Amino acid sequence: MRVAVVGKGGSGKTSVSGIFARALARAGHHVVGLDCDTNPNLGLSLGVGDMETERLLSLRDQIDEGEQSHAHTWEDILEAYGTDAPDGVRLTVVNRIDDPEPD
Amino acid sequence: MSAEQLLSSVPHADTIIVADLEAGIGTLTRLPEQAVEHTLVVVEPTPRSIDVGMRAVAVATEREQGHVTVLASKVADDADDARVRTAFADHDVVTIPTDPIVVNADRQGLSPMDLDASAPAVEAIGSLVGQLTQ
Amino acid sequence: MIRIAFAGKGGAGKSSISGTFARLLARRDRPVLAVDSDPLPGMAYSLGIPVDDRPAPDDVVVEGPAAGPRWVLRPGLDANGFIDQYAAAGPDDVRYLQFGNSWGHWSTLQRGQHAWSQVVKEMDPAAWNVVGDLPGGTRQAMFGWAKYADVLALVVEPTPKSIQVGRGLRNITKADWSPAHVVVVANRITGPYDVRRIHEALERPVIGAIPFDEAVTAADKRGRSPLDEGPSSFVDAVEELVTAAEFSYDEAGSQQTDGIA
Repeated sequence: MRVAVVGKGGSGKTSVSGIFARALARAGHHVVGLDCDTNPNLGLSLGVGDMETERLLSLRDQIDEGEQSHAHTWEDILEAYGTDAPDGVRLTVVNRIDDPEPD
Repeated sequence: MSAEQLLSSVPHADTIIVADLEAGIGTLTRLPEQAVEHTLVVVEPTPRSIDVGMRAVAVATEREQGHVTVLASKVADDADDARVRTAFADHDVVTIPTDPIVVNADRQGLSPMDLDASAPAVEAIGSLVGQLTQ
Repeated sequence: MIRIAFAGKGGAGKSSISGTFARLLARRDRPVLAVDSDPLPGMAYSLGIPVDDRPAPDDVVVEGPAAGPRWVLRPGLDANGFIDQYAAAGPDDVRYLQFGNSWGHWSTLQRGQHAWSQVVKEMDPAAWNVVGDLPGGTRQAMFGWAKYADVLALVVEPTPKSIQVGRGLRNITKADWSPAHVVVVANRITGPYDVRRIHEALERPVIGAIPFDEAVTAADKRGRSPLDEGPSSFVDAVEELVTAAEFSYDEAGSQQTDGIA
C-alpha cells in the first residue's frame, strides 16, 4: 500500500509522516518511509537522529553533483540511500528531483 | 528515480510506503494517476493552509490518488476544528490536537514517539492506522 | 532603494514577515512593490490584500522568439506598464505582483511565471523598493527566482529542520547572480539561546530576532495581516528589522543591482 502525505509547508506533514510510519510499524506492518523533499528531514521525525539525517542529506547532495551514480532499482535505492529507523522502519531519500520551473 | 517515478514502480504488496512529499502541490500535480492508494492532506486551521489543502484535495481527486483523508493539524480548540471540517465537509477529517510534545520534539530534532508515545497528537495519528489498514 | 527577498523552510514565517515588512517599509519610503513568486497564496494575507486567483489576461504575453523564453510580454507592454495595470494595490499603497493562478491549467501558470519573471527583470531598479517572498525550501531560490534582490534574508526557526534548510540556502552564494548579502532573520524565538543557536548554525549575520507571538497565530487563523490586528511584539520586531535593513543599505552605500536582476 502506498500513502502520500501532502500539505502546505509547516503544516506538520513530515512530523505526521514520521509518527504514522512508526505507528504502522508498531502495529506489525512492514514500513518504508520515503522522503521526497529537496531538503530531506523525515529522518528526524522518524527518530534516526541529527547525524544520520545529515548523512542522507549529503548523499542526496552528492547525487545532485554527480559524485554518486543514480541507483536504478528500488532495491538499490533502499540499500544505497536508506537507513534503518526505530521499530523496523526503513527510511530512504529519493535520488532525483524533477525541475519543472521554466527558465 | 524521482518521487514521481518511484511511486508508480515501487513494489507495495507487502510493504506500506509512507511518502512524505515536498511541501505544496507541485509533486502531486506531477504524480502519474493512481500512484497511491491513500492521500493524507495535512491542513492547519488557517485560511492559508486550508487553501493549499483544498487545492491538494482537488488534484488528488482529479488524478485518482486513492482515498483522500484530511488531517486537521495543530487544532487548539473547537473553532479550529470547525474551520477545517467546514472547509472539507465532503471528506473524512481526522483531528490532531496541538501538542507540546510534538513542539518539543521538533525543537530537539527527535521523534515524538520517543518522547511520549501516549501524547495526544501521537494517539490521534495512531488512530489512522486502523482506518487505513482495514 | 531596498531590494530584499525572504527565503526559508516552508512554515518558517516568510510570508508573514515579508508582507508586514513591505507595509512597514512603505510607511517610511514609497513606493514598495511586493513580489510573490509562490503560486500558492501567502504574502497576500499578510499584505491585507484579498487573495485573487485570476491570472493576468492571456494576451499580456505572446510566444517568444525561437531561442528565447516561451512567453514574453506583448509588444507595447513593458515592465512598468505591466505593474501599472496588473499589480494589485493594497494598504499603505503597496503594489503586489503574484505568480498567478495555480488553480488553472499548468499552461496558465507558465504564462504568469514568464510575465512575472520578465517584469521583475526589466523593471527600473531606481523606481521601486522591492520586497519578495519565495516559496519554502531551496528549489526556487536556487533556480534564480531571487535575482532582483540585493539582500537574501533567510527566515529560520530554532528547530533542526528549519536550520537545515537555512544552511542549504546558503549555497546560493555560489551562484554568480547571488544577492550581495545573505543574512538571517530568526523567527519564533523564545529566548537568547535560540538566537545564538541559529547564529552558530548559519554562520551569517542575524539582522532580526522575532519573538514567538500568539497574535500572529490569531491573525493567521483569521486570514488577516498581523498589522491589522493591533500592536504586537511581532510587529515591533519587524519594524526593527526594517530599520536594520535600511541601516545596512546606508552603511554599504547605494546598492544598484547593475543589471544582474
